Amino acid sequence: MLEVRELTKKYGDVTAVDHLSFTVRPGIITGFLGPNGAGKSTTMRMILGLDRPTSGMALVNGRSYTGSPAPMAELGALLEAKAVDKGRSARNHLLALGATVGIGRTRVDELLEVVGLSDVAGKSAGSFSLGMGQRLGIASALIADPSIVMLDEPVNGLDPDGILWIRNLLRDLASEGRTVFVSSHLMSEMELTAEHLLVIGRGRILADMSMDDFIASASTNHVRVITPDAMALRDLLVGPDVSVTSTAPGRLVIEGLTAERIGDVAAQHHLTLHALVPIEASLEDAFMKLTRDSVEFHGSTESHERKAA
Amino acid sequence: MSTITTLPDTRPAATQSPVPRLTLGRVITSEWIKLRSLRSTWYMMAGLFGVIIAFGLLSAAVATGDVSTAAGGPPGFSGASPIVTVLSGARFGLLLVAVFGVMVGAREYSSGMIRTTLAAVPRRLPVLVGKLTVFVAVVTPVVLTATIVAFFGGTAILSGAGVTSVAWSDPGVAGAVLGTVGYLIGIGVLGVALGMLFRGIGAGIGVLIGGILFVPTLMTALLPDSWDSVLKYLPSNAGQAFSSVDAGASLLGYWPGVAVFSAWVALAVGAAAWSLKQRDS
Repeated sequence: MLEVRELTKKYGDVTAVDHLSFTVRPGIITGFLGPNGAGKSTTMRMILGLDRPTSGMALVNGRSYTGSPAPMAELGALLEAKAVDKGRSARNHLLALGATVGIGRTRVDELLEVVGLSDVAGKSAGSFSLGMGQRLGIASALIADPSIVMLDEPVNGLDPDGILWIRNLLRDLASEGRTVFVSSHLMSEMELTAEHLLVIGRGRILADMSMDDFIASASTNHVRVITPDAMALRDLLVGPDVSVTSTAPGRLVIEGLTAERIGDVAAQHHLTLHALVPIEASLEDAFMKLTRDSVEFHGSTESHERKAA
Repeated sequence: MSTITTLPDTRPAATQSPVPRLTLGRVITSEWIKLRSLRSTWYMMAGLFGVIIAFGLLSAAVATGDVSTAAGGPPGFSGASPIVTVLSGARFGLLLVAVFGVMVGAREYSSGMIRTTLAAVPRRLPVLVGKLTVFVAVVTPVVLTATIVAFFGGTAILSGAGVTSVAWSDPGVAGAVLGTVGYLIGIGVLGVALGMLFRGIGAGIGVLIGGILFVPTLMTALLPDSWDSVLKYLPSNAGQAFSSVDAGASLLGYWPGVAVFSAWVALAVGAAAWSLKQRDS
């Protein structure tokens, strides 16, 4: 189990992580989701003791990672696949890491097999593709058979084959009862793997809920209507819980009513409808909406989208 | 490659592998695996060994007149005291061992490997102890053997040609030869510490070779003699006090030199330890 209490990191005036508290439970995959720069990596580095928190603490199976007698057996982490020495072979890299807790050749070769790097075990890590580097990083994380696995953006740079492999690996790890904590800036990736979600923006927790609850909360439905009688329909529908916006002459977006209800109202009043389209918000939209205010830099494409919406 | 999705039962059997537990000895083993698995380590060691012996023997040969010097050949190769001549390779070795030390200390910062290392050893200080231990363990036999071979080979060439030579048993000679070995190792240790402190190969080498080896020598040459009482405490001058015969009145005595130089090395190692423990990685 991984527990973070009031964890805070300030760099001068900038607060990267702001009184973050959460618990990551064993047996399931927990997604750590947030836009780039939200503080995901900083949080993970503090959990590992690489960065010193300004205040607060992180507990790995009930104690600080730094104080553990066998840290890598408690928590195995992949922070950046590039954090290897390019001149050393994959096997020697793992042997050196394993040696710190007395793990030797047998386990290293077994892991190379698991991550599919046996054939290139003797090649220098510098010659590896990004995907092979990720696999090596995952082997490093698993080397001491940890009860917690923490991976920062593990699917970055992987081909579809590799992404599928990671998903299955994460599910297997969770089903073995391990705590699996995976960060991503892509909702679409989390949607397929995570059972629990921690959404973070500007260093603060924005949502801490099961994926099912997140999906439920995300499904505020909109209905798009094209009608020559837009003004009349608008006056009939608008109410305290209903918002009607017009995107163009003859086009409405209605929030708070079902398509069926809108169709019935139109029929009762003999209004012509050319289109009546229910639009379900995607999880990606829900995530974007949740984190919109916490994104540090908005790209120009995003502001266009906002105008269009 | 992607077909293997199930982890084999990974719980280590008690009989097969020891209980995973982080110990200083294991961190040292880990650092040894890291050092030996880089090709550059062995190139450096071969270079260090070769340079100390080759330049020593070559200088001795030049001093006998068997090998003619190039016009206005490098001063100090001939006409210097016999011990300076036969140990001249150590002066080049000094640069190599300094660079190698900095590389051992700073290399992981250049590659980003340090974050993997410190995640594995979050208490951090064992990493510094490990790096220093394996560095000294690898460099000592190389420097010691090469310096002794250069000394006996060089003095044999000198006396064979009837040129003034020295013997191991002459006063101060054994001390200077072993002092040279100690000085080289000490400079290497200083390099490891500065490499970790400055977290970059370039910065570490710059400070070590420029600030510690070159600038003090320059200051000694340029500043008036009245400064000698201060300058003799600088690392390179303190090192000179125990790595040469008849060091001269401007330098410290043999053992005070050892003490002052060791204090400098200890200071750098202490600073590296403090920095490693305190700073974010």
